[in-house]
Order: sequence, then C-alpha cells, then structure tokens
Amino acid sequence: MTTVQRRVIQAGALSTIALACFFEVKFKTLDGRIVPQLAQEWYRVPLDLVPGSSFVLAGLVAWSRRPLNRVGLLMIGVGVGLLTRNAELQHGIGEIAYPLEVALHFISPLWAVAFLHLLLAFPAGRLVSRLDRDIVRSFYALVPLAGVLAVVIGHYPLLGAIGQPVFETKGPADYVYLACLLVGSGLVIRRWFLGGRARRRSIAPLFGPMVPITIFFLLSLAYFLGARVTPIPLGGLKSILGDLATAFPLLLVALPVGVLVGLLRSELDMSSVGDLVVKLSGGLAPERLRPALAQALHDPSLEVAYWLPAQEWFADLEGRRIELPTDDSERAVSILGDASSPIVALVYDSSLVHEGQLVDAAAAAVRMALENARLQVQLRAQLEDVRESRARLVEAADSERQRVERDLHDGAQQQLVTLLLSMQMTKAEATRHSDLATAAMVEANIGALRQALDELRELGRGIHPTILTQAGLVPAIMSLAERSPIPVEVTGELGDDRLAPPIEAALYFVVSEAITNAVKHSQARRLCVSIARRPVLAIVEVSDDGVGGAEPSLGSGLRGLTDRVAAVGGRLTVKSDHAGGTTIHAEVPCG
Amino acid sequence: MRVIVADDSVLFREGLARVLEGAGFEVVGQASNIDELDRILAGEQAAAVILDIRMPPTQTDEGLVAAKRIRRTHPEMGVLLLSQYVESHHALDLLAESPNHVGYLLKDRVADIGEFLEAVRRVGNGGSAVDPQVVSQLLGRKRSRDLVDQLTDREKKVLGLIAEGRSNEAIASALNISPKTLEAHIGTIYSKLGLEPAVSDHRRVLAVLNYLRSA
Repeated sequence: MTTVQRRVIQAGALSTIALACFFEVKFKTLDGRIVPQLAQEWYRVPLDLVPGSSFVLAGLVAWSRRPLNRVGLLMIGVGVGLLTRNAELQHGIGEIAYPLEVALHFISPLWAVAFLHLLLAFPAGRLVSRLDRDIVRSFYALVPLAGVLAVVIGHYPLLGAIGQPVFETKGPADYVYLACLLVGSGLVIRRWFLGGRARRRSIAPLFGPMVPITIFFLLSLAYFLGARVTPIPLGGLKSILGDLATAFPLLLVALPVGVLVGLLRSELDMSSVGDLVVKLSGGLAPERLRPALAQALHDPSLEVAYWLPAQEWFADLEGRRIELPTDDSERAVSILGDASSPIVALVYDSSLVHEGQLVDAAAAAVRMALENARLQVQLRAQLEDVRESRARLVEAADSERQRVERDLHDGAQQQLVTLLLSMQMTKAEATRHSDLATAAMVEANIGALRQALDELRELGRGIHPTILTQAGLVPAIMSLAERSPIPVEVTGELGDDRLAPPIEAALYFVVSEAITNAVKHSQARRLCVSIARRPVLAIVEVSDDGVGGAEPSLGSGLRGLTDRVAAVGGRLTVKSDHAGGTTIHAEVPCG
Repeated sequence: MRVIVADDSVLFREGLARVLEGAGFEVVGQASNIDELDRILAGEQAAAVILDIRMPPTQTDEGLVAAKRIRRTHPEMGVLLLSQYVESHHALDLLAESPNHVGYLLKDRVADIGEFLEAVRRVGNGGSAVDPQVVSQLLGRKRSRDLVDQLTDREKKVLGLIAEGRSNEAIASALNISPKTLEAHIGTIYSKLGLEPAVSDHRRVLAVLNYLRSA
C-alpha cells in the first residue's frame, strides 16, 4: 500500500468522524441569526458518536503500529460502519442526495460483518482456518442480499420522500447484524475454552470485552424479542431491558481498548526476549533452553526440535525423533537455518503466528545456544548409536565364542574321547593276545591323545567357560580361583538371581584377565576377588599385593577389558602404583 | 549289574556299552537324549545311569538337570555324570542333597577302564565317585594360610582318595597299607585339619570336599 493510499484512508476515516459530529448539529434561524442546535436529545449524541469513533481512532493507532497487520484496518472499517449507521448522518446526507442515504442504509449491517471479521482475525490479522474464511465470506455476501430483500418485501421505500425517516426500517439487515454478533461471540468463547495457554493469552484482549458485550447483547436481544414477539407488556422490566439495549453501543468501546492493550502488550513481550538475552549471557545449559524460550514466548507447549544431519530428522535433547506438524492449524513451525541445512525447528501454538517478529527475535537471541545444543544432541545420538553397535559387536563375539566352544565340544573333543576309548580296547585286546609290542605302541599313542585332550580342554575353557553358562558368575570365578597358580581368595555374593549373559561374560573376563595378568607380571603372593551386588549395580574387584605399575593404556589386555565393560554400560578402573599392589574395579549397571 | 547309557554320540555310546558288557554289565538301554532316557527309565530297572552333562537340545546342562531329577525320582538308582570339564561346583551341587548313589567324572576317565568300571560299581551300589581331577584341583589349590600343607604326602594321598569317594578297604589296598595304619592316618588328618570324624564313607566325602573348597 502506497503512502498516498494510506493517507487517503486515514483522512477518510477521520472525516467520517467529523461528518458524524457535524450532522449531530442542526442550524436554525432564530431572530435573523443562524443558531446551532443539537439535532436530538443530548444523551443520544455519545451513543451515536463514541463507539464508532473509538474503533476508528484505535484502528488508526493499531494500523500505524502494525502496518502489515489487518487488525487496524478492520477496526477502522468497523468504526466507519458504526458511524454511518448513525441516523442523523444518514438523514443529513439524505437531505443532500437521497440515493446516498439509500446506499448508506443498504450497507448499514456491514459494520457487524466487519466486527465478526475482526473477532475471527484477531490477533493474526488474517483468517487462519478455512471455516473462519467461509463464515466471513458468507456474511459479506449476505449484506447486499439482505438489502435487496428489504426492498423486495417492502421494508424500505426505495423512492421515499426527502426527509422521511427511514431509520426505523429494520427487517433482514437486523438479522444479519444479530447473526454476526451471535456467531462472533460464540466462536471467540469456543476458542477460549478449547485453546491452550498461549492461545488464551493471545485472545485475552478480545475475550475480556466480549464477555460483557455478549451478556449485554443477549439482554438487548431479549428486549428485541420481547418487544416483537411477546404480546404481553413487560412493564418496568421491558423498559429496563430497553435502556440496556440502548446503552449497548457504548459497551462496544471496550473492544478497541482491549485490542490496543493487546498491541501494547505485544511490545512488552519484546522485553521478555531481552530477558532471554540476559539469561543467555550467563550461559544457558541446553536443558534450560526450551523452558527459557517457552517463557519468553508465553507458550509452555513450545518444543525445540534439533536437526540431525546424519539421520535427516529432527530430535529432542535426548536424541529421540520428533515429527514436525504438517499443515496443522493448531501448531506452527519456525525453522532456523536455511532449508538445505536447518539447525533447529521451533514448534509452537499457531496463535503465536502473528507474533512472527517475536518468535524470530527470540530465536535469533538463542541461535548460538541452540546451535551448540544441536551439536550436543547430534553427539548424543551418535554416541548412542556407537554404544549400541559396540554392545552388539561384543554380544556377537560372545555368541560366536560360545558356538566355537560348542563345536569343539561336540566335535573334536567327543571324537577324541571315543578314540581314546577304542584305543584302550585295542590295547586290552593286544594284551589279551600277548602282543606286547602293539600294546606298548598303543599305550604311547594313548598318552599323546590324553595330552591333546587336555590341551583342547584348556583351549575350550579359554574360549568360553561352560561353567559360566551352566552355573553363573560366582561358580565360574571360584573355578578360576581353584585353578590359579597363586592363592585367590573369593569373597562376597551376587544373590540368587543370575545376571544377564553379556554382563556375566564381561565380569568373568575381567576376573580371568586380572588373574592372568597378576600371575604373569605382578609377582603377587596372593589375590583377592570381591563380588558385590547393589540394587542396580554388579561390582567385581580384583586386587593383588604385587609390584603394581599396571597401565590400562599400555597393556592391550586391560584396554580390551575396559572396552568390554564399557560395552555393557559399565566402568573399569585400574589403581596401580609403583608403591605396590594393583586393584581392578569393574562395575556394571544391572536390572 | 544293569546300567543305562545316555550320550548324544552314538559312537561313544556303543564303545561304552561294549566296555561295560565286556566287563559283565548288562546295558539295558541307550539314550541319545533326555526324552529317550525318560522312556527307558519308565520301562527298565537299572542300578545305574551313566549320562553326559551336555545333552541336546541346548547342549548346556540338560544332563545335570536330568541327573538331579533322577536322584529325586529314583533315589535307589546310581547316577554317574560325565563331563568334558569337571567343576567342583557341580560335584558339590550333586553331592549336597545326598552323597549316595552319585558320581561325577571327567569323560576321559572312561578310557581308564578298570578305574571307570570300579566307579560305576561304586555308584550302582550306593557309593559315590568324584573325579580325581576335581579332588586334585581342590587339594592343590593355593591358599594363603594352608592347613593342607601341614599334611604329609601320604596323608594328602589318603585325603584325596577319601574325597574321590573310596572306601577304607579300597584305599588301604591301593596304598598297600594295613587298615590299622590307614585309620591312624585318617585320625591324624582329621585332627590336623580340625575336621569332625565322620561315621559313614558317604558323609565324609562331602565333608572333605566342602572343607577343601571353602578353606
């Protein structure tokens, strides 16, 4: 809209007020002088002028503050409509040109439709939902129809004499006016009760004034119906209702005031963005970003969705996927960063849409912090991936070891034992036939075979100890202790419940490796293995009285153990100083 | 003596059956899994069952579970469990309920035919048999304060044979000593270790194993 157009609209709106004031005054000739007089009783003047002027003035202020928001223009429209409904104005204009009076009367319900439009478009300035658009369009279409209908059914004398009051003619136009107010207040109240906190807050400037307006409107409707329908005279009540109905237009003033307050408050909200910036300067942890933004934007339902480039989806702080709402009138989305590489998406109540500037300002204020948080989320998601794949790798390796041990057991070991048996029988047979040379040869082979079986057994035990699967961690550790070349004292209990197989395996190999290391390097005289079970932790500790100096970073054995324990979510610590003694402590979370 | 053999390897089963039958045992049934074993147990009277600790379908501890069950359902039947690995945990686990009619041997032991047949007989007659490897592992276990080290070699040998489940008679003849000398040895061992003198052969196996394991 050009500046000239703006000026024309502003001037037009102001001159409508001036014109309305002008026609409140009549000029009479008294004693040869022209004397101005009120055209009607004094108390009717404010009823005519105040509601319309308040809408026009508030609309002008709103329009200048928010030129792109149509709320201001709609308010001006309602104001001008209310003013042209003024009978004195219509009549005065009619005295100049009767067709103008007819035209003005024709469009007199227009203010009510503009009013409905304003109610539905506030605060965004546009009609968000399709239903709203359909309602408003139908009412606009009804206005000329009602005028034509009024002419057809003869309510309106199209060619009435000049000066004849046409103001009382009601009919179809009134129904349009009634329906607009009923539908409008109904929709505002519905929106209030169905909306969330952000929505309520945004329409509070409307809802506040609409409550008394609706009550008064219903009272005046009662009067209207009482007067039309009830044959019984309502006496005093009727006249009270009549007075209330008369005062109704004055109450409309509350609405432009409310809308202006809403506008001012929106400016106050910019200061809450300022607060946000102050908070950020003190450093804001990613966990506190969302609450801070929600507070600044007055929308507790606000969500922050971080873009994960690797996964190509948005996620929350924990790395869980968030689906962005699509074409949903209840939720709106603002995406920071460019379309090809977004940083974060803010998902909020769509009532904030008209406060785009506010959302943008808040988002800009926290952009750096959001970017940091996004990187953290990305890292967490990747970490989670790595952790899971590591656990899967270890589990796969464990089950592979178990399979190899089983193949060894069912295959080679079993066959060799059978062979041993048959060789013994061969030897017995040879001995029986006094073939002592053969018997001696077989005997030598038997010895070699036994040795092979022993070695195979040790190999199998190292690959996967069957006692671990058969009886659990404590018996398996006892078995290690029994076979250790240096004394091992085992203390503690795990209780009756077995641990999960990957945890049992991890802790078993910690003890097994720790004992092996101690035997090889520590020159320890004794070892202690202590086992403990806390509600959510299984703990194993192996300590020796040896020379110390074990370094997890040097020995690949300890490194491997650290990785193995970490793969089941646990932690391995090694305490070993040159003063003597090494303690390996492993703890693993368990259900 | 009537025995049942259960092992999932047919070659091993057949070999074992031949050894047993050659020594005058009557093999009344051969089972390749626990279901077959249960069917044989339902129809046949036997003095002992010889079974492998790892049996189909999972090859983990089906044999062990079955052994414990048979000991409850057939308390007068001997159960001799064979395993590629012997663990003191399983030995004590089997002996704990009642130390009669039970044996636990390394599978290789079947090739020491004489020893093995003797163990089958012992278990079938209500005695117990613990694999020498379990015993030697427990005996040889390194301890920080070791009462076992105070025993002489001969006393250790006697203690080991007791733990394997052998009777005084068998120990005396194995060591070529008189029963009187043996009893003297046993008295010394018990007092050195601070063990209560046990009345029956069965009871003392468990007592000795428990002592060795917990010391």
